[in-house]
This record gives sequence, C-alpha cells and structure tokens, in this order.
Amino acid sequence: MIVKIARKEFTEMLRDGRFRWAAAIVFALLLASLVMGGKHYRDVKRQHDLAQAETRDQWLRQPAKNPHSAAHYGIYAFKPKLLPAMLDRGVDPFVGQSVWLEAHKQNEFKFKPAQDATAVQRFGELTAATVLQLLIPLLIILLSFSAFAGEREQGTLRQLLSLGVRKTDLVWGKALGVSGALALLIVPATIVGVVALAMVSDNGLLGASAGRMAWLFVSYLLYFGVFIGVSLAVSAWAKSSQMALVVLLAFWIVNGLIAPRAVADAAKRVHPTPSAFAFQQTMDREMQSGPDGHDTADKRAEALKQKVLKQYGVDKLEALPVNFAGISLQEGEEHSNVVFDKHYSELWNRFERQNRLKQLAGAVAPMLAIQSVSMSLAGTDFAHHRNFATAAESYRRFLVKKMNDDMTFNAGKEDFSYLAKPALWQTVEDFRYDAPSASWALSQQTISLALLTLWCLAALTFAAVTTAKMRVD
Amino acid sequence: MLTRIMRHEWRSLVADRTLWIIAPLFALLIGYGVYNGTSWVSFQRSTLDAAQQEERDRFAKAKAEVASIEQGGQPASAFANPRLPSVAAGRTAPRYALLPPAPLAALSVGQSDLYPYYFKVSSQSKQTFTTNDEIENPTNLLAGRFDLAFVIIYLYPLLILALSYNLLSIEREQGTLQMMMSQPVSLRTFVTGKIGLRALVVLALAAGFSLAGFLLGGVSLNAEGAWLRLLLWIGIVAGYGAFWFALAVAVNAFGKSSATNAMALAGLWLVFVLPIPSLLNVAVTTIYPVPSRVEMVQATRRASAEATAKGSQLLSKYLEDHPELTAGNQADPNDFVTRSLAIQSETERLIQPVIDHFDRQVLGQQSLVDRFRFLSPAIVTQAALNDIAGTSVARYRHFLSLVDEFHKQWRGHFTPRIVQKALLSASDYDRFPSFSFGEEPTGVVAKRVLAGLFGLLIPALVIGWLSLRALRRYQLAG
Amino acid sequence: MLEAVNLSKHYNGTAALDALNLKIEPGEVFCLLGANGAGKTTTINLFLNFIEPTSGSAKIKGLDVTAQPLETKRHIAYIPEQVMLYKNLTGLENLEYFSALAGHDKYSREQLLNFFDQVGLQREAAERRVGTYSKGMRQKVGIAIALAKQARALLLDEPTSGLDPKASNEFSELLKKLSGQGVAVLMATHDLFRAKESGTRVGIMKRGKLVNQLRTEEIGHTDLERIYLEHMHD
Repeated sequence: MIVKIARKEFTEMLRDGRFRWAAAIVFALLLASLVMGGKHYRDVKRQHDLAQAETRDQWLRQPAKNPHSAAHYGIYAFKPKLLPAMLDRGVDPFVGQSVWLEAHKQNEFKFKPAQDATAVQRFGELTAATVLQLLIPLLIILLSFSAFAGEREQGTLRQLLSLGVRKTDLVWGKALGVSGALALLIVPATIVGVVALAMVSDNGLLGASAGRMAWLFVSYLLYFGVFIGVSLAVSAWAKSSQMALVVLLAFWIVNGLIAPRAVADAAKRVHPTPSAFAFQQTMDREMQSGPDGHDTADKRAEALKQKVLKQYGVDKLEALPVNFAGISLQEGEEHSNVVFDKHYSELWNRFERQNRLKQLAGAVAPMLAIQSVSMSLAGTDFAHHRNFATAAESYRRFLVKKMNDDMTFNAGKEDFSYLAKPALWQTVEDFRYDAPSASWALSQQTISLALLTLWCLAALTFAAVTTAKMRVD
Repeated sequence: MLTRIMRHEWRSLVADRTLWIIAPLFALLIGYGVYNGTSWVSFQRSTLDAAQQEERDRFAKAKAEVASIEQGGQPASAFANPRLPSVAAGRTAPRYALLPPAPLAALSVGQSDLYPYYFKVSSQSKQTFTTNDEIENPTNLLAGRFDLAFVIIYLYPLLILALSYNLLSIEREQGTLQMMMSQPVSLRTFVTGKIGLRALVVLALAAGFSLAGFLLGGVSLNAEGAWLRLLLWIGIVAGYGAFWFALAVAVNAFGKSSATNAMALAGLWLVFVLPIPSLLNVAVTTIYPVPSRVEMVQATRRASAEATAKGSQLLSKYLEDHPELTAGNQADPNDFVTRSLAIQSETERLIQPVIDHFDRQVLGQQSLVDRFRFLSPAIVTQAALNDIAGTSVARYRHFLSLVDEFHKQWRGHFTPRIVQKALLSASDYDRFPSFSFGEEPTGVVAKRVLAGLFGLLIPALVIGWLSLRALRRYQLAG
Repeated sequence: MLEAVNLSKHYNGTAALDALNLKIEPGEVFCLLGANGAGKTTTINLFLNFIEPTSGSAKIKGLDVTAQPLETKRHIAYIPEQVMLYKNLTGLENLEYFSALAGHDKYSREQLLNFFDQVGLQREAAERRVGTYSKGMRQKVGIAIALAKQARALLLDEPTSGLDPKASNEFSELLKKLSGQGVAVLMATHDLFRAKESGTRVGIMKRGKLVNQLRTEEIGHTDLERIYLEHMHD
C-alpha cells in the first residue's frame, strides 16, 4: 500500500513542470558548487603545500647566525584543508590562513580571504553546503506543501479515505514519494561529488576522510527528514494549500535566514569578547611584569639571576658554565607563554561558548545544528581552526626553546655575537600537523547531532499525528 | 476613484489579521537590528577612545622621561631612549589613525566588521600595522550581523511579498474580482489602487520604524551630511520596495493561483539574494583572481632576505639616493638603525609590485561588482546602504589612502632626524605630525548612491509598466 | 437597454456563442434557458466585457461595451450564482464600497441602510461581517448594490440556484419590483418555474445558438417544459 502511494506521488512529481524546473536548477547549482569547491580545494592545497615547503626551505638555508635571530626569523605555518572542505568552506574565509611563528610572540592568524573579496561575498558563497542547507529544504517544501491540503481541495482525499486507505499509510507513502524524487537529485550529485573528490585528492586522502564523508551524508539525510516531516505535517494541518505554503516558507525563512544571524548576535551579547585593543593592552601589561628577554634590569631578572647562580653554585654570571642570555630569553618565553595561554584560551573558550549556544539554538532552528555539524565534519569550523592554531603555537614554543637552549649551552660568553652553524637548523624537525579524527569532530557536535536526530523523529511523528487527526474537507 | 480603492484596501487590511501579525514583527526585527548596530558603533567608539587615551598616556610618559634625561637623568633602557628619533618614530610616539563611525553607521554594519578601524602608525612598514583586525568569532562573521540593513535587504521584500503575492489571485479565487469588474472601474486602476495603498503602508512602516530606530539608536542628525544621508537611505528603501511591488504585480498579471504566485515570488526573491550574488562573486574572482596572500607572505620574506643579504652595500646606495637625509653630515655605515632603514626601504621596493598586483585585482573585482550589481536589486541595495552608512569598502579605502599619506608624512618627519642622529626634546614631541580623518565628500557618496537608486527605480518602472500592460490581457472569465 | 448584435464568441474554432441577436427593453425580464455549456454565461460575460467577442457587439444603452467598458458598467449590475463580497468587511461596508466605485459616494449611512430595508435584510445584519452571511443574504446584498448604483440593467447568472424556496421566492419578488421600475434584466437560469414566474420573455439556447424565444404570458408552465425538452432532445 505504502509503496503504491509512493509510486503515485513520485509519478505526479515527475510530471509536474514546476518540480522539474526547480530540481534542474538546484541540481545545476549543486554540480557547479561541487566543481568550484573541488577547484578551490585543489588551488589552496597546492599553494599551502608549496608555501609550507618554501618556508621550511628558507629556515634550513639560513646562514650561520645567532640562534635568537633565527628564532626571530621564524617560520610560517599554513593551515591545511581537509578533503571534505570542498563541500563546506565554513569559517575559512573569515579566519587568517597563515601564522608567523617567531620569538616572543603568539601571533594572530593574518589575512582573512574575505578581506580580499568584495561585499558581494557577504551574501554567502555558493558551496555544496549552501545548496544542501537552504535550497534542498525549499525544494522539499515545494514538493510537499500540497500533499494533503491539495488533495483536500481537489476532493481526492475524500475519495482516497472512502476507499479504506489508512491515514498512516498515506503519510509514509507520501514521505517515501518525496524521498524518491529527492533521491533522483541527491544520488547522482553524490556520485559526482565522490568522483570529484577522488579527482582532486591525492592517493589515500579519500579513504582517510571516508568517515567524515559518511557522517556528513547521514547528518544531511536527518536534516532533510526534518523538512519532509514538517512539510507533511503542515500540509495535513493547514486549511488550504496556500496557507500550508505560506507557513512552510515562513519556517524556512526563520530557520535559514533569521535564526543564524539573530542567534549570532545574541551569542555575542551573552558571551562578549574584548576588543583587540583591550586584549592586547591587557596582555602587554601582564607581559611587562616579567622580563622580556632583552632587558635584564628588572626585578624578575634579578630573581632569575639569583636562582641560576644558586643552581650552578657560583657567585657571578661570568662564572656560569652556561650562557645566561639564553636562560633569560627562555625564562621570558615561559613567562609570556603563561600570559598567552591564559588570554588566548579565555578568548577562544568564549568563542566556543558562543558556538555552543548556537548549537543549542539548533533546538529552535535545525539549520544551526546542521551548519555546526557540517562545518565540523568538513574541518572548517572554529574548533578545527583552534586545533591547528594550538599545534602551530606549540611548534613555535618548541622551535624557540631549541634556539634558546642552543644559546644557553653553546654561546659561552659571546651572547648575541655568537653564531650558530647551519647544522642547527636541521635539528629542528619540520612542522607536521595531523588533522583531528572524525570521532574528535563528532565529539564536539554531540549537542547538534542529538538535536538533529530529535528534530527528525519529532517532525516525522508530528506528521503522523496531524495526519491521523486531519479533517477530510 | 483611486483614493476610494485605497481607502477600501486599507479597511480590508485592517480587518485582516496579516498586517497585525506582520507589522509588530517587522517593528521587532527593526528594533533588534538597530540595537545590534548601535552596540557595534558604541563598541567601536569606546575602542577609539581607549586608543586615544593610550596615546595621551604614552606621550605624557615619554615627554616626562625626555625631560628628565634632558636634565641629566638616564634612560630606562639604552634601546628605548625616547630622545632617539628612531625610538620615538617606532615605539614611544606612534600616533593612531582613527576611522570614526559615520553618522549613520549604526544602521548597517556592512564591511566594518571585517576591516580594522584604527591603525597605530609608526615608521615601520605599513604591513606591520595595517593587519590589526578586530577580534571576532569567525562563526559570527560567517553568519553576518543582524542589523537594519539585513532587515531591509532580506526581510523587507518578504514583508512586501507577504502583503501582495495574492493581490489579484485572491480576489479571483474568492470571486470578488468579478463583482469588482462589473463596476465601472478598470483593472489597472484597481491594481494601482491596491498596490498603492500597500506601498504606502509598507513605506510608512519601514520609514517610521527606521526613523524611530535612528532616534533610539542615537544617530546624531547634527553631523555633517546626516540629513542628506537619511534622505538617501529612505530613497533607497523606497526604490527597493518599489521593485518588489512591481515584481508582485508582474507575477499576479500572469493570472495563476495564489499558491503558484507565492512559489514564484519566493523563488525570485531567493534568486536575487543567493544565486545571483554568489555567481557574481564567482565570476568576479575568476576574472580578477586575487593571488593568494600566502604567496604575498612568501614574496615579502624573500624580499626581506634579499635586502638583508645586500646589507651595507644597500646602505651606501640608500644614502646616495637620499642626500637630503644626511644634510652634509657623514652617516655611519655600521649604524644599526640607519642600516635597517635602508633594508626596510629596499624590502618595500621589492614587494611593491606584489602589493600593487593585489590592489589592482581587488580594484578590478570591485569595479566589476559595481557594474554588475544591477543584476540584483539586493546587491544594489547592499552597496547603497553601506555607502550611506559609511561602512563600505570605498570609505575604508579612502581611509587607507589617508593613512598612506600620513605614513609618508610620518617617515618624512623622522627619517632625516634618524639618519642625522638628532636628539629630541620634550617640545619636539608636540610637533610630531598627527592624523585627522576627513570624510569622503558627501557629493561623491551621493552620486554612487543615486546611481544605485536609478538601478532600482528603472527596473521597477519597466516591470511595473510591462505588467500594467499585461493586465489588459488578464483573463477575467474563461 | 441591452442589445446583442450578431454577437459571437469562438474558442479555438468552436462556437461558444453563435450570432446572437437579442434586444431587451426597460422593464423586461429576459430569461436564458439551456443546458450547461449552451452559451448563457458567455453571453453575460460578453455584456460585462470580461471576454472579448470574436465578432458582433454587445451594447448597453446603445453603447458598445468593448469601446466604452467603464461607461457601460455604470448602468449595469451583476449578480453571479454566488455574490462574492469581502469577507472581512461588514455588509454595509461592502455596499458602501461598491456603490462608491459605481460613482455614488454621497450616500448617507441611513440611505445605505434603507437599501438593506428594501431588499429585506435586517439592519443588525448590515453591521456583521459578510463572512457570517448565508447565501441568500449575500444575494440580497447583491441586489442592494444594484439598487444603490441605480442600475438600469441587471445581469444575473443563475442567481437562485442553491437557494431555499423561500429565499428564491423573495428574490423573484425583488426582481419583479425592479422590472416594475423600468430595469431591464437578463437572467441565465436552469429553473423553468422561476423563468415562467418572473420572466417576461424566455430564450432557449443550444450549442451557442438562441433557438427559440417565447413570451411567458402566452404559454403555461407545462408548455414551457415541453418546448424546452423538445429542444434538448435532438
């Protein structure tokens, strides 16, 4: 019975010119976004790979120089992209793509791609995620707003029920019909997507991100389930198909348009972040309460001096078997690292609290839940950015310490005129970053995934309940 | 006759629930939008105040230290002697270049959340101080701000469409259209009256709520050009509204059912706010690809390595090229500060072509967008509202060019003193150049906005005229 | 008052109305009879200029309706099977609006209520929203509109179908009253009994043609039914 109903729905949709047009447009946009996403991924990956190799090369080719100068010269880290990033660009346009790792400072990521774009970009980029999050739900609404309301207006609902068709069969049949029509769109797009991925990815990458891709697929199916359920429920409940359409469009607008912005601004109010100016000023102030490595005049330096003298059992710096400048520089690093850790982690925790609020708001608008899950699995959300920033920062600390230690143990009395041999640069291992696993990403998204599942179940139940109670005419 | 119809439509609207749901909702959205915009502006203002305060404190401290050194005291650190022009130019005396929010800034956040609005201008290269972005959760930047401009660009058309998608179709579906047309009224008069009243109501709502928002949001109308900008704002809102009303009439003129009209109009709305802008963005970035900043980072690094390697040979050439700097005195080729000046100048010379290339591409994109924005009234409106609010890229670029001049002036002031190893006195600190921001001439902004206004009104008139013509063939009966 | 001269309407070659010639004088009530699709509603739509004739012309007070669509509508009132009014407005508001559109915007409230009295609608009903009205009440508002606009001709499209006998009777009485005042009436109907009762002439239509015209005073009710069925058979 259900299958028969589904087949009839499916045939009707295929014959509906409106659906054919809408589906063709959505499909074309989906394909275009996949192609562009793939190209973008490949370009960025090539640039970053080249730049990462070049910055390493520059590091290795430094002439003999003071290790501290080398630490100042530093190295750049470029944020790598994960393969699924071609589906969802996430926050990537709004975070810097590279960071300079140098002595004394935890630098900000510089150069947001959005800054080099025009204001048109603020309308949103055409990515597969946009199509999946906004356009396909609209298509579902167009497919199913008249599912019951329309049959009621035509009088066919009366006919159907007089034949003894069960209302629940009707709901599942219709849901299946809509899913079938949708599958016509999604299955080919998925195939194209996987082929595109295979084409742009180097060997092995596709397999590595298979977990993330599978979860993305499931999450989007849940999201579509929400819209199928809600659309059928509203269609059964509404007095006329026109009313069903208006109500569903309103839901779509609140979900896709109003909620993300309204919640972003609300989150900013609940967990405010400081201005960059105040942030820097506070850090500077705290930094000054310790030696900055160049200055030996202040109290902290004196304390350090006493400590080191005591440790080596000598009474003046000249008698030390090690270079005091190196120790002092490292002490400065350790102090500023404490300050950086405190402030950056507080700031980033605030960002994450804001983002968690957005995840919770997924209870109101499923868009917020799927957006969060999708960015996370694509590796383009803030958590992944932070993960990379943290890895880069700990590499910076490793590199700077290595330089300072060389100074401490090899500079002797020469201080800053000591020159280290180029062999030293080789001893600093290259920066390697392994992106976190799919399960790590999922563990950040428990709220969103739970809400998405709940939404889907609730919507389908809602559809079943309203249909069971619906009026015949 | 027209006023008759409009009066009747008003009565019908009042009797209907739709307006009573929509109007307060719209007021609420506008209120929230203005509230968010206002907080952003006051956030910026307090940051600018803090920066000015920091500058005053820093100057006072430096002057006190200079005075004490002049009286024979010792500088706290030999590296940081505030009497040295190099220290003053790069460390103790850098001045802030501030971009104050324009009078109507609270109405549209625009691009202002993406670009810095103050720079600490020092003698170092521009790249060191022009990348101090404001702190913002990137997820929020992605979502965009809920400001008044958002309400107008996205939601205001929906309000218009909600009131007029079934303008004629509902009359036909409920049978009143035939009753109506058996009266001595032409269909065009009838439609004009219906749409006219709705336009009046919507415009009154939009203008009224916005004005209330401006006043509550503390927009100061005393500021120069504020009234003109306000007028332009209302003009753009009216023009944008006219476009959507015209479109609603056009869709109704096809004589399809209300549900089909709703679908068609929702589809058109979506096309104008999503695919067209994003495809335009794709086109623009394909025609004028901005090279990756990653490459620029690398180019800068290469240039600086090259310049450093040339070292002392660079210095003598630098001094040869700038005889005015030494003013007859002999410069010390081993001097660290002078030498780094030379290296810096060479590095900047080397990377200038890369930066120029960037600017050319970004400008190329912008000029394409300016030309093709007319493809979507939403883009036209976004550009115009940002211009009026002073949160467009154009105003930011204007600011950058002023900063650029100021940076040159700053270096021009200090470089000779650095090379000549002059020692600064406390009173010298009062004579350092300072930055003041002058707005783009209002006329220039008004011209851009008016072009946008025509870009809205002309399609609106054409569509309106065509659909009134099409109404002649409207099928009243099988 | 109402005149059709060789009035024809073709849809893709098939004639919905074929060379209709008809003249209705003031005070006459002309009833059009015929099966569904015989061309009755087409005739009325042509007089209303809702559709354009393929050839011939429809005239009201000697004026061609396609040439002067607005002027001719000043003189007519249209009452369809269902008088559709603005549901959210009261009967009085609807009446005021429609008569104002017809150019009579000087009526006082009392005058308007008077029209309600004339068509037999209670004054308290006039203040209620039309959404609550029964079908008969809405038809009466339709007549009130005709009265208020001082129509010289009425175009009625099955105005009594679906009315209960009492309401139907009241409606006929009103028609008689109007024709007594010199109003010309063109009514399409299926109701032979009503046609005989309130009509002065009847016309039988078949496949777009007016096949017979009779004076009601000359025939009995059973004759009319017989003649009608004869036409329908072949």
